[in-house]
Amino acid sequence: MNGHCTEQQLIDYAFELASEAQMHEIRAHLDGCEACRAKLDGLKAKFSTLDLLREEMGASPALIASTIEAATGAKRPAILRLWARPWLGAVAAVVIVGVALLVVSTFGPGRKAPQPVTEKSFSQENLSQRTLDVPAAAEPEKLVAADRSLRSDAAAPTAGWQPQAKLGDGAVSKSSPIPTDAGAGLTLARTEIDEKPPFAPASAIELVVLPRRENVQLTIYNGADLTLVREQRHLTLKKGWNWLQFMWANTLIDPTSLSLEPTEHKDHVQVQQLVFPPRLRELGRWLIRSEVEGQVPFELTYMTSGLAWRAFYMGTLSLDERSMRLEAYVRVDNASGEDYDDAQTRLLVGKVHLLDQIRDLAQRQYAYDDPRSRGMVGGLGLDDAELRNEEASNRILSYEWKGQVLDELDRKEIVKEGLSEYFLYTIGGTETIPNEWGKRLLSFEADDVPVTSLYKYDEERWGTDPIRFVSFANDTEHKLGETPLPDGSVRIYAQTDAEKHLAYIGGTETKYIPVGEEVELNLGPARLVKVEPVLLELRTENHTFDSKGNVAGWDEVRSWKIEIANARTLPVDIEITRGFDTPRWELKTENPTATYEKHDVTHARFKLKVGPRSREMLTYTVTTYHGAREQVLIQKEQSAQR
Amino acid sequence: MGYDNRLEEVVGVVALTPVTDESLMAAHLRGDRAAFRELVERYADGLLRYLVHMTANRDQAEDLFQETFKKVHEKAHTYRGPVFKSWLFTIATRATIDHLRRRKRSAMLSLDQEADCGQDSGSSLAETLASEDAPDPADELVREERKQQVREAVASLPVKQRAALVLAYYQQLSYREVADVMGCSLGTVKTQMSRALATLARRLPESISVTK
Repeated sequence: MNGHCTEQQLIDYAFELASEAQMHEIRAHLDGCEACRAKLDGLKAKFSTLDLLREEMGASPALIASTIEAATGAKRPAILRLWARPWLGAVAAVVIVGVALLVVSTFGPGRKAPQPVTEKSFSQENLSQRTLDVPAAAEPEKLVAADRSLRSDAAAPTAGWQPQAKLGDGAVSKSSPIPTDAGAGLTLARTEIDEKPPFAPASAIELVVLPRRENVQLTIYNGADLTLVREQRHLTLKKGWNWLQFMWANTLIDPTSLSLEPTEHKDHVQVQQLVFPPRLRELGRWLIRSEVEGQVPFELTYMTSGLAWRAFYMGTLSLDERSMRLEAYVRVDNASGEDYDDAQTRLLVGKVHLLDQIRDLAQRQYAYDDPRSRGMVGGLGLDDAELRNEEASNRILSYEWKGQVLDELDRKEIVKEGLSEYFLYTIGGTETIPNEWGKRLLSFEADDVPVTSLYKYDEERWGTDPIRFVSFANDTEHKLGETPLPDGSVRIYAQTDAEKHLAYIGGTETKYIPVGEEVELNLGPARLVKVEPVLLELRTENHTFDSKGNVAGWDEVRSWKIEIANARTLPVDIEITRGFDTPRWELKTENPTATYEKHDVTHARFKLKVGPRSREMLTYTVTTYHGAREQVLIQKEQSAQR
Repeated sequence: MGYDNRLEEVVGVVALTPVTDESLMAAHLRGDRAAFRELVERYADGLLRYLVHMTANRDQAEDLFQETFKKVHEKAHTYRGPVFKSWLFTIATRATIDHLRRRKRSAMLSLDQEADCGQDSGSSLAETLASEDAPDPADELVREERKQQVREAVASLPVKQRAALVLAYYQQLSYREVADVMGCSLGTVKTQMSRALATLARRLPESISVTK
């Protein structure tokens, strides 16, 4: 041995980690070297401090008992120290929400099988080919993977990356892969992975474009500007640490909601952190530790705004107007800044409480906001977010003005299922919803839904025009009732002849209609039914006077004639409501076909039927009591109550 | 190393002859709960110490302790011997590494964690110092401080280095046994151990008398 022993040699000697030959050599040196012996003694003394922890603690009888019971399936549960985990409450809340979201977005049919690749397919050549096969323009959010081993000083900045430009030699691990139970097509190499994760790349990085998304599922809420997106992609990982970059520039994706999880090989692939590098806007990078090489399916979930849906109903009345064919549609509008190809689409009805507006979160410069971004911009008194919001609003308005709607030619089945207080509609198959497009899809249709047509006349509410109503119930008697009907627009048409030519009758907005509820659609003023009230006589009588001879009380008697003209070829039922401005009134009618009922304390309601192309006359006389005459009636009522 | 009479009847051993781990496992497979209890008690202290050293957190160590014996119970039929201790620590090591990876993804530390892993009796340092039979408070304070430094030095090691060190140094397994537990080669264990000790040589406090 030349010179003294190194510290490492002495450590290996002290703990018998060196080879036999080295042990012998060091021992011989120590025999003759006092300095190295002293150094060894110093090291041994230092390592003796490890003994401070040697007998630090033992297992308590309670722990042993609970362990045995937990392991053998006895009733007592494992110890759970809630007091030591104050964050458990928050986690529980997240889990509840998470479970709800998972239920909402369980994948259905149409899912494509993963396409694992063989060991051979991980050659650099094939990876490059895969990269070139993916058109960058078709991947607007620029999902890219990067590996530490791919970094170089000359790499292009992220904003201007060239996806097919570079692939370092280190793209695939040089270890000798051996097949394991990790999954068909995947390899699990024996080489060690550095325990210390690489430092997040800051600004320059070489990037690899990933395959397109395999599946995407949208759950669009109508109670808030909120959509849950779940998409599946096969990421090509190499053994070791992998960086995956996600950019949400020009979209309305909420970066605080981003989540990435492998759907297979979870024991071998861990997503460890999501970093938001400084000075780089609207991008985040995931750090993924992989013990396998090859394609691994991942699920990416996030919230976005800008996607909306709305229900539309079209009712076609039969010739006799006693039944209706009801067709329900949903229209999905995409102004999220992102194209969604072949998306499985689910529509959720229900109010959602949002702490933040997704649109605001999406347009932050930094994912979790940055205090510096709150400064004033351009002396306008507006901050960045406000300016961007205005811009986004203009974009939405512009989009709506364009009114780009693509009606679906093929009918899609829309399956509905209850979800606590929410209701979920699933559109069968998949839909492609490009950015700034709208799409209308058939939700359901029902023939021969029994309906009631009714005309209503109430001057105080609707003026001098009778209003037409069509009513039905969302129940099985009316051939509906399978699901609640979401709020939306309704348009009613009527068949005008045997050839089924249609005439537009009227339209309205309807609120959410639960199962079993009756719904009455206000179709607006009727054109072929007229109601004309005429006051024939007004007189006062039964005057009373006070002590000075002034009039103190009197009765008013009005005689009315109401003419109802029906120009339609069908008979109509009509309801006429008359108000008297006082609770004390008396009504007499001489018309035998008109019956009335007291609608409320100041109103009477007549119901009558008018034949096709005919007129009906309603006459009545109403007496109202005023002043001292009214007081007399009040006193009579009070004494009767006693 | 205790066992009750009922256990002797079940496993059919002669009194005063230590029951081997393997015969206890055989009895456990036949459905004898007393045998399982004996195994838990036999390795309770050692395993818990190992897990505390690995996690630097008493609560997490106890959770892993339960998880380990639950797996022992569930996977007993896969046990092929010959050394139960190695098998037990293999299960514990895998569970710990998985746990530490998960924890790395969202590390949340209990505010009273320091007290959790530092005190086995639950009494605070102040209480210890205040008790009548405690040694000189100043010495005890220095000792506790050094203990904490050692704990932090061990906890700072990468998982596999820490596992190699704890198994070899504290559990006194041979390097061959450590390799079996960790599922790697003897050379790898020695490399991990050597690196761990080199790191500790820089991070451990200078020696003092460690006798209590």
